[in-house]
Amino acid sequence: MIELQSVTKDFAGVRAVNDVSLTVEQGTVAAVVGTSGSGKSTLLRMVNRLIEPTSGRILIDGADTAGVPAPDLRRRIGYVIQDHGLFPHWSAARNIATVPVLLRWPRAQVRTRVRELMEMLQLDPDVIGPRLPHELSGGQAQRVGVARALAVRPELLLMDEPFGALDPVIRAQAQADLARVQKRLGTTVILVTHDMAEAIRLGDRIAVMRAGRVEQFAAPADIIARPATPFVADLLGEGDRAFRYLSLRPAADLARPEGPGAGPAAGDADAPPLSPGTTMAEALSEMIWTGRDHVRVARADGTGGTVSRDDLIRAGRPE
Amino acid sequence: MRAAWPVRLVLWALVAIFVLWPGLFAPLLRPLAPPGMPVVYDRASLSGLTAWHLGLVAAAIVPSALMAIGLAILVTRPAGADFLPLARALGGFGQTFPPVAVLALAVPVVGFGAWPTLIALFLYGLLPILENALAGLTGVPPSVMLAADGMGMTPRQRLVRVELPLAAPLIVEGVRISAVIAISTAAIGSTVAAPGLGEVIIAGLNANNMAFVVQGGLLTAALALIVHDALGLAGGLVGPRGARARTAAA
Ligand SMILES: Nc1ncnc2c1ncn2[C@@H]1O[C@H](COP(=O)(O)OP(=O)(O)OP(=O)(O)O)[C@@H](O)[C@H]1O
Ligand SMILES: [Mg+2]
Repeated sequence: MIELQSVTKDFAGVRAVNDVSLTVEQGTVAAVVGTSGSGKSTLLRMVNRLIEPTSGRILIDGADTAGVPAPDLRRRIGYVIQDHGLFPHWSAARNIATVPVLLRWPRAQVRTRVRELMEMLQLDPDVIGPRLPHELSGGQAQRVGVARALAVRPELLLMDEPFGALDPVIRAQAQADLARVQKRLGTTVILVTHDMAEAIRLGDRIAVMRAGRVEQFAAPADIIARPATPFVADLLGEGDRAFRYLSLRPAADLARPEGPGAGPAAGDADAPPLSPGTTMAEALSEMIWTGRDHVRVARADGTGGTVSRDDLIRAGRPE
Repeated sequence: MRAAWPVRLVLWALVAIFVLWPGLFAPLLRPLAPPGMPVVYDRASLSGLTAWHLGLVAAAIVPSALMAIGLAILVTRPAGADFLPLARALGGFGQTFPPVAVLALAVPVVGFGAWPTLIALFLYGLLPILENALAGLTGVPPSVMLAADGMGMTPRQRLVRVELPLAAPLIVEGVRISAVIAISTAAIGSTVAAPGLGEVIIAGLNANNMAFVVQGGLLTAALALIVHDALGLAGGLVGPRGARARTAAA
């Protein structure tokens, strides 16, 4: 658990972070969004003490970070930055081994761990491992950066616009990978982004920052349903609110059982069902596009169901 | 790069043979010497003079490099940051100041012999190395510095593992510039009685013996070429290509 208590940072007259308090629960993802210059990176860097707060305290599992020598603290916390910051003179494998080597792990253990991480992030250790950073694609370099940050199984991972430099297709893939890895390892993540859609997709809670202050810190559904300030509403984009809200839940939640009794309303019985992970927003989009008023969705347990347009539209409006 | 090897080996062999058995080349030099005069410099062995020449250069450039790199490291640390602009100005100034002038200024202070040359080479060698080391150390991308800190490297670990290796190709380039300049400056050093190949050239000029001038001049030029080339190879080894080779070997 990470607790920020009234954290403030002044840079020569500029208050970059202004009295921020928030708590990130163990194993959850906190997304920090805000416009450029709102203090997101500064906030993040105070957690691993790349920047020392002017005032306030930061506790990890109840222990004040100020009491730990900064290099020791940072070795325990994963850190990923936008243009990955890989060491250009080291191979991908050596980059991933950075922190284990600093911690003087035995060589064999380092090698095993590097292979393990590369496989987890779908990087072929024999092909990608020996390459220098300039020989990697943007997506590969980004994954190497994530592998490096996860090398010593940190309980906390700080990510500063980790997907900012990726094209939309690779970015979606990288977001899905992060979600998968985060669930598997149970890592606590603080993720800085200026992309609200990314925050909604990945965050268990979202902190919206403006001019050094946190304007709202809440679950995505709450942020969308009840934006605390006009700025938060603005950031959500008025026109997209309903779709953003629908993108939070799987369409299968609204599915009615299929069967002989369900009647002809089931629509084109021959159309393949949508995959279990399909969100309500995607299901609605599918209906609009195909001109149907029902779609079939598969459930994770193998059963199927149909979702009606009216149900979807009702679900798009918070109670 | 590979294509350069035959040329390189031939040059090394030629220079070695010339230095060890200059008599072999007498027929080539004969036409340049006035009748009745010696064709090959005979007041000291060419091999001995070559050794002195290179020795002086090494004795000046090694401490010069250590000092310049040390200075560059100091002014790129937070504690020395105030001196960075000064160091930069100094580094740039070196390129505009003729080495002969340093020589001329050193003689009144330390007298004739090897010392003024050594001092001139040392001082003149500092600036190109300083300038390049500064460019290398300040040129490390900010994201790389941030990552090094963020991974938990101590300032010292960051310097040794990240900053210096990344600056190394530029630093070697600075040493290369300094060493090549030092080789030609050392020849001028013989005007103030430093032992070295300049002695042969000066003897030739005094006696109006072109054979001496040519053998001293060519040998000095060949040394400069060899050192330039060798340090170029060294620069390649510490650069990204070298990193590649080291990774493959590991
Ligand atoms: N080292 C520094 N010295 C002085 N001012 C700084 C420093 N770092 C940040 N600032 C200022 O603090 C404010 C917040 O910067 P910060 O980098 O935290 O913003 P951000 O939300 O991460 O922006 P972006 O989305 O552009 O990355 C800005 O006004 C910035 O100019
Ligand atoms: Mg930022």
